[in-house]
Order: sequence, then structure tokens, then C-alpha cells
Amino acid sequence: MASNWLMFLAVAACVGVIVLGLILFPLVRWRRRKGDAEPPQFANNYPLEIAWTVIPLVMVGGLFVATYRAEARVDAVSDHPAAIVAVEAYRWGWTFAYRGGPTVGGASNGPASLGVAQGMPELVLPLGETTRIELWAADVDHGFWIPDFLFKRDAIPGQTTAFDLSPTKLGTFEGRCSAFCGLQHESMLFRVRVVTPGAFVAWEKART
Amino acid sequence: MGESADVSAVAVPAMPEAAERHDLLSWLTTTDHKRIGILYLLTSLAYFGVSGILSLMMRTQLARPNNTFLDAHQYAQLFTLHGTAMIFLFVAPFAFGLANFLIPLQIGAADMAFPRLNATSYWLFLFGGLVVFLGAATNEGAAASGWTAYPPLSEIRVSTGLGQDLWIVGVFLVSVATIVTSINFVTTVFIFRAPGMTMWRIPIFTWEMVATSLLVFMAFPSLAATLLLLFVDRHMGGHAFDPAYGGSPVLWDHLFWFFGHPEVYVMILPYFGVISEIVPVFSRKPIFGYTGLVLAAFAIAGLSMGVWAHHMFTTGVVNNPFFAFVSFLIAVPTGVKFFNWIATMWRGSISFETPMLFAIGFLLNFLIGGITGVMLASPPIDYQAHDSYFVVAHFHYVLGGGSLFAIFAALFFWWPKMFGVKLDETLGKWCFGLLFVGFNVTFLPMHFMGVMGMPRRVFTYDAGGPLPTLNLIATFGSYIMFAGVALYVVNAIVSARTRIPVGSDPWSANSLEWWTSSPPPEHNFESLPPIRSERPVYDARVARA
Repeated sequence: MASNWLMFLAVAACVGVIVLGLILFPLVRWRRRKGDAEPPQFANNYPLEIAWTVIPLVMVGGLFVATYRAEARVDAVSDHPAAIVAVEAYRWGWTFAYRGGPTVGGASNGPASLGVAQGMPELVLPLGETTRIELWAADVDHGFWIPDFLFKRDAIPGQTTAFDLSPTKLGTFEGRCSAFCGLQHESMLFRVRVVTPGAFVAWEKART
Repeated sequence: MGESADVSAVAVPAMPEAAERHDLLSWLTTTDHKRIGILYLLTSLAYFGVSGILSLMMRTQLARPNNTFLDAHQYAQLFTLHGTAMIFLFVAPFAFGLANFLIPLQIGAADMAFPRLNATSYWLFLFGGLVVFLGAATNEGAAASGWTAYPPLSEIRVSTGLGQDLWIVGVFLVSVATIVTSINFVTTVFIFRAPGMTMWRIPIFTWEMVATSLLVFMAFPSLAATLLLLFVDRHMGGHAFDPAYGGSPVLWDHLFWFFGHPEVYVMILPYFGVISEIVPVFSRKPIFGYTGLVLAAFAIAGLSMGVWAHHMFTTGVVNNPFFAFVSFLIAVPTGVKFFNWIATMWRGSISFETPMLFAIGFLLNFLIGGITGVMLASPPIDYQAHDSYFVVAHFHYVLGGGSLFAIFAALFFWWPKMFGVKLDETLGKWCFGLLFVGFNVTFLPMHFMGVMGMPRRVFTYDAGGPLPTLNLIATFGSYIMFAGVALYVVNAIVSARTRIPVGSDPWSANSLEWWTSSPPPEHNFESLPPIRSERPVYDARVARA
């Protein structure tokens, strides 16, 4: 996903700089000077107009192919995940129910506790393995967002959506609600702790 | 108006009329398109002022982490009212006001097709907006579920207050006003053109308003129906969006964004028109690629009907690749417009009066907004950027850096035509400088905030990391913008006091509104020049020379 970001940023920078130059150049080169005669009154150039329609068309075609491939990777759902977690979002907390394992979660307790670790609901994931998340919301729309994973998915009442997380780095990461859900939206935080597969099994056993 | 005598002018039959009145009652009862247009413009600017002050309060709250200037409920009301007012009561209605004033003048007509319907649409718009703001006076305050009002958050068991109902009723009234005024625009352009004014000679602004109006016909009925469904859910036992009874919150997403994305183009196509009018005048050249610009407008309008679900990439229930592809495609006709404007400046003789400065500001800002738009059309990027400050930055670059700059360009460009006096150029240039710097200082840092993980619609954030610094910079920028807007108000007052009169055509412009006096008489034209191209006033100038 990061590679998709980088590719788009590179294309964006190139297109941006070229068009910026095309805007600024005439402003300098053909600024009005005293005694200017009326400039040439041309208003069409069909080959040029066709070119600046077709070339961008080809470019967005390329961007689409790249984005289609990237999305196929991100959205792929494994048939044999190492763990399955049912995630329920509610005002204003999270419940993580591991299939055949523990159910953990809670609320991070209002605005005063911003960033405070105590009482923070914690999602534990095994490193290098696939965990399937089955996400839904109990009351209003929420969003399950882990900024360090460059990923979010909406949690919507009345429907379950499934996606895979396959973390590649050990450590703890911040998770949060992304969709405005009421007065304690900004404090609807959770923590993602990525541990080794062995530690994950031990954690599951200890909590079950 | 001496210029009409020496060309073979087509005389317009004189109309029997009383002397023009200027008292308050004459403004309240007016059906004159120019007065309705000015009422629309001033009302939308008033809503802009209020909405701008709301945003300054939000930026003040966000200037420091864990700030207590506002609480969560106040902040939620502010961002709901700010978004609602900017979208429904300012950016779109300003375009309708401009179109009301300009369309009959640009096509050589005496008024709109349905003058009384025109007045109706203005009053519906004015009171619709007031009804939305009235919510702030109720016990539980104004609506606080965002301008998108996603249920179940906006359902009665969560949003219990009257403010949400007033929001529904107010926005409904505005949507009816929008549909009605669009019917008027299309009918006027199709039926009321002067002799010689074929469809392929009408000014680009008028063309853009035709495309805009057709979009309104398709999008706004969906909004009105969706608002009614929510009202039925709240008060008449409906369950359209309630999953417990077989309804679906996703249904709202579809119906709302089926309106909501075309609405984005309702808020930008008219301003593409404004830029297409201003750039040729200050480059002393005809608009480049007239046909291409018109076709691009309709391509954008058509494609915009098929991209609504790119607001729903993260729901996991829509066909992301399809909506990504159509969203990417919109970049092509938008690019065509950009290249046409650049080609219009190419080898021209470019001068930098205030309207042109704002038009250049539009090009530079909209370039960034357009590029981030293409990025957001890629679902894997949207998975990070959706609902974050990156999106906030993106749509402010489109609607603030784009539409707002075109609005100021239009104000400076057509002010002499509306009021017969010119705005001060020095104050105008300072106004542009403050707005351009202030805008970019405010919104450029928001891209980074979003990628770092700051969600939109939070009333506070944690200390630590770069977020506090970035937010402080953004708040600082918003105060600079405020100074720029204040300078505009000063300019308007100064120009009204000094009253330096302008002739019919202070900019040496091209289209018919510059043929008649400033301000135009009640029946618009004493005479018309021959209309042989999309630049009749230029042609008449050349014929005279």
C-alpha cells in the first residue's frame, strides 16, 4: 500500500510541476508591456487539443491498472487465517472477540484519558500471520482505523465486513475511530499490539 | 452608451415602464433578475461571513492540544453549520446569484423566463438557511451530526434535538429553491436568446450554468427525497435507515452521495465559467478551445453522475474498481479545461488586475486540489486518507482555493457592472495577497495531519508529535484569511463612499453584459450590437476602430 502511495505521489509531483510551469511561464513571458500591440487572436489547434485529451486518458488508464492491482492485494481475504476476531464498535469503545479465544476490549474513558494507556482496549495480532477481522457497529457508524497500517474500514450497524490484517512489524500501534460518531468520537481509541506467533498463542491461553 | 450609435445596432422595442424605484419595498417585491441576483449574492456572502466566523472559532479551538475554548458539543454544532452553510448557502447560491444577474445580460434578454418563480427561489433559499441556523436557538442546540447527517447518528434516538429537524427542513427548502432556479436558467438560455445568439455563441459561463442546471435536475431530487425519508424515520415511524427493522444506513450513503458528488460539480462548474470569462479579457485574446470547454463541461457533468460511491470506498460494500475508474476519468476533461486556460494566456498580453490575480490563484490552488483528488480516487490511498484531514485539505483546495478564489475574481470583475463603481485596485491586490497566503498556510499543513492519522471532526487532539505545530500554523493561516476577507469589506464600503463611476466596459471585455450601461437599466438593453461570434462586444469594438 505504501508503494501505491509513493507511485501516486511521484506522478502527482511530476504532473504538478509541469502544469505549474505551464501556468507560470506565460505569466512572465507574455506579461503586458507598454505599447503592446493586440496579440494574435488564435482560438483553436485541434491536433493539440486531441493530444491533451488522449495523453491524460492513457495516463489515468495506467494509474487505474496500478491501483487495481494494489487494491486486489490489500483487499485479498485468506481462506485460512491464523486467527479470526469479531470486532464490535460502539459509542465509545471496542470489543475484540477472538474465535475460540478470549473476548477483550473496553472504552478508553472519555476525553480526559486521551493517549492514556490504562483501560485502553487492546487488539493483539500475531506477527507475519494473517488475522481476519469481522467488523460491525452496535449503534451508529464508526470507522476502524490504524494509521500506521495505512488502512481503515467503516463499521456499520446491520452488516458485517471482513478484511485481513497481516502485520510485518513488532510493536504497539495506535488505532482509532475515523467516522464521527458523537461527542466522545476523538477519544474512541484502541491499541494494536503485534507480538510473535508464540507470544500470541501464550497470550490467548492466558486470557481464555 | 454612445457606442451603440455607430454600428448597425438592432434596436430592442422600448418597454412601457414606470421610473425605477429604489426603496426597501421595491427590493422586497422585485422580480428583476438583476436585483434578485444581487440579493442572492449579498445573502450568500452574509452566510459566508457567519460560516467563516464559525470556522475561525474551530481553528481557535484546535490551535493548541487539549484546548478548552469549545466543548465537544459546541464543536460538533460548529462543523455541522459550517459545512452546511458553505455548501448549501454560499458556494452554490453565490453561483446562482451570479447566474441570475448575468445570464439574461450575456444572452441579450430582458429578464429570466419566469421572474416570479425566480423571486420564489430566492426567498426559499433565504428562509431555508435561516431555518437551519434557527436550530442554534433551541434547547439542545443546532444539528450536530455533520453536513452529511449520516444515520443512525442523525436518527431521533441518537440526535434527539429539534436542531436536526430544523436542519432537515431548512436544507429541504434550499434544495427546492435550487431545483426551481435551475429550471429558470435552462428555460431562459434555451428560449430567450437575442437574434444571432446561437447556442454556439453563448458565453462559456452561461454554458457552464446549463451543465450545472442539468446536474441539479438529476442530483437534487435525490437529496430532497433522502431528507424526507430521514424525517419520516424520525417522526412517522419509518425505518428506512434502521437495520433493526430491515433498513440500512448504507442506503443513506448511496442516496446522499448520489446527490453529494454531483453537488461538488454544481459548486465548481459555474466557477470554471467565471475563469473562462476572466482569463481571455486580461490576456486580450479569445477563449481558446470554446467547443472543447463546452464538451468538457458536459463530460464532467455526465461522469460526475457515476462516481458517488468513491465516498464509500471504506464501507466494503461497493464495487471500488468501477467507481475508482470513473473518478479517474473525470481528471481528463478537467485537464482539458486547464490546458485551454493556459493556451488562452499563451502568446497573449497579460495584465494583472485583481480579477486576474484571483483567477491565477484559482489555477494554482485548484491544481493541488485536482491532483489530491486523483490520489483519493485510488481506493488503497483512500483507505488511509478517508475521513482524515487529508480529505479536509483536498476539498478545501477545491472549494476554498478553487471556488472561493473564483468568487472573489467574479466579485472584482462584475462589481462595476452591478453597482456602477469599481473596487479599489490597491486594496484588491492586498486582499488577494492575504487570501492566497492565508489559504495555503491554513490548508497545506492539513495534508500532513491527515496522513499522520488526525481524523476530521475531532474537537481536540493529543499533545506530542508534530500535530500541535501543524495545527498552530493552520490556525495562524486562518486569521490571515480573515484579514483578507475583512479588507474586501473595507473595499466595498470605500468604493460605495467614493463612487468613482465606470463606463459600460471598464475592462475591454467581450460578452454582451459589457455592452449596456453600468448598472444596466431595468430592461437591460437600449440596443444590441450585431451578434456574429461569442465576442459581440469585441467585434463591435473592432468594427468601430
